[in-house]
Amino acid sequence: MAEDLDNIDAFEAKETSHKLPIGWLVLFWGLILWGVYYFVTYSPAISGWTQEKAYQESIKK
Amino acid sequence: MNDYQYDNQTVKGFVVSSVFWGVVGIVIGLLISIQMWRPEFNFAPFFTFGRLRTVHTNSLAFGLGVGAIFGLSYYILMRLTKRPLLFPKLARIQLYLFNIGIAAAAVTLFMGMTQSLEYAELEWPLDIAIVILWVMFAVNVFGTIIKRKEEQMYISLWYIIATVIAVAVLYIINNLSIPVGPFKSYHLFAGVNSANVEWWYGHNAVGFVFTTPILAMFYYFLPKSTGIPIFSHRLSIISFWSLVFAYLWTGAHHLVYTPLPDWIQTLGIVFTIFLIAPSWGSVVNGYYTVGSDWDKMNTQYLTKFFIMGITFYGLQTVQGPTQGLRVVSQLIHYTDWVPGHVHMGTMGWVTMTTAASIYYVIPKIYHTEIYSIKVANIHFWLVLIGQLIFSITMWITGIQQGALWKAVNDDGSLKYSFVETLTKNYPFWQLRTVGGLIFTVGMLFFIYNIYMTIRRGSLAEAKA
Repeated sequence: MAEDLDNIDAFEAKETSHKLPIGWLVLFWGLILWGVYYFVTYSPAISGWTQEKAYQESIKK
Repeated sequence: MNDYQYDNQTVKGFVVSSVFWGVVGIVIGLLISIQMWRPEFNFAPFFTFGRLRTVHTNSLAFGLGVGAIFGLSYYILMRLTKRPLLFPKLARIQLYLFNIGIAAAAVTLFMGMTQSLEYAELEWPLDIAIVILWVMFAVNVFGTIIKRKEEQMYISLWYIIATVIAVAVLYIINNLSIPVGPFKSYHLFAGVNSANVEWWYGHNAVGFVFTTPILAMFYYFLPKSTGIPIFSHRLSIISFWSLVFAYLWTGAHHLVYTPLPDWIQTLGIVFTIFLIAPSWGSVVNGYYTVGSDWDKMNTQYLTKFFIMGITFYGLQTVQGPTQGLRVVSQLIHYTDWVPGHVHMGTMGWVTMTTAASIYYVIPKIYHTEIYSIKVANIHFWLVLIGQLIFSITMWITGIQQGALWKAVNDDGSLKYSFVETLTKNYPFWQLRTVGGLIFTVGMLFFIYNIYMTIRRGSLAEAKA
């Protein structure tokens, strides 16, 4: 009996070759920008923030 | 017997083996869930929680998970490259070695042998055997792809390639250790370095065992069972590259608030949060694909497995990154929230998608139809309900534990003793066992359906 093999068209048809959804692109670039912000804010060498300092402040209250 | 039939039998061998180890793992999971609230269900020394938990995770991740990955990857590989496996005999030997390896792994874990590294418990002789097993897999995957008869490489092939490479790198590096006897070794890395390497490995085991190969199945079997081409090939490729790039940096989120340098933790969190985008690329692609004809949810019984699977993948990949944030981690880390999270992924996404793929493959191999769609539907609803009860109870206990552990009196002393926080979990732990039981019954329906399909297929073959 012949084996049914796949035609690539069954997966990637011309009529369904959509561009990237705009909402998804916003998410993608937004998270990259957020990552830059977060890294700068929470890197001891850049912002001076450290886990230890944050802890000491939290128990002062 | 033609070449494909021989390879198909190898695929079937892997699928049946993986289901077998799945049953072992699930039954043990049920037992350890009872042990949490009924300590007398520990039977020392072999059947105590400490040993059984590793047997549970290993038999499900490496037995059910990797077994299904081997079999279904080979199935996908042959069809997308339009040729049989390059080394069919090697794949068959790999199948036997796989089962011997998992059995040996279970025995050593029962005996209490462990490297004490999570998901890398197996001692060094077994590690070497596993590397050999993986090389056999790699040789067949790359050989078959190089000699492929279809030039275009569909996204599933990329995900399989990523799985092969990443698991090899992760497994070898994290298992580097100095043997001091046949069954005992020490990690090559010490202290914080050991922790960092271990969680780089541990988190990417999730990435390259529970994510990339399962996405390969999802992208292949969803269009196959619905007959709808994927919404966007471009989206799938961009999601793929950004996923594999970002994943390997994320392990440090397991070590938030530890002696690991602050900047490494921060970097790990940044990449972890970014992972939402590539993960949701696949979620969006799945929804939009079926979105062109939602009727398929009613007319094709496998559609709902895939859509529910990708939904839990979507929830998982928002919940997981959120857990990495310091403010969330300090509440839920080391609590039941984490196993709740893991089980939504494994029971909701991995098992759901894998089971649907097996439903698709087994009848194809035997040129027959599935034994009963009705049984498959019962299976679907039972595992869905079971998994939801399981995950939700663990999230509740997790938040409760975290809040009680953090509660302090005005003078800074702890408000609750450990036992007080423990006993509050009991009703939820009992409910979890109920959820696990419902899930297990659902899986029995699945196994029955597969068994009957194989039986019917074999009878038809014998007649022909």
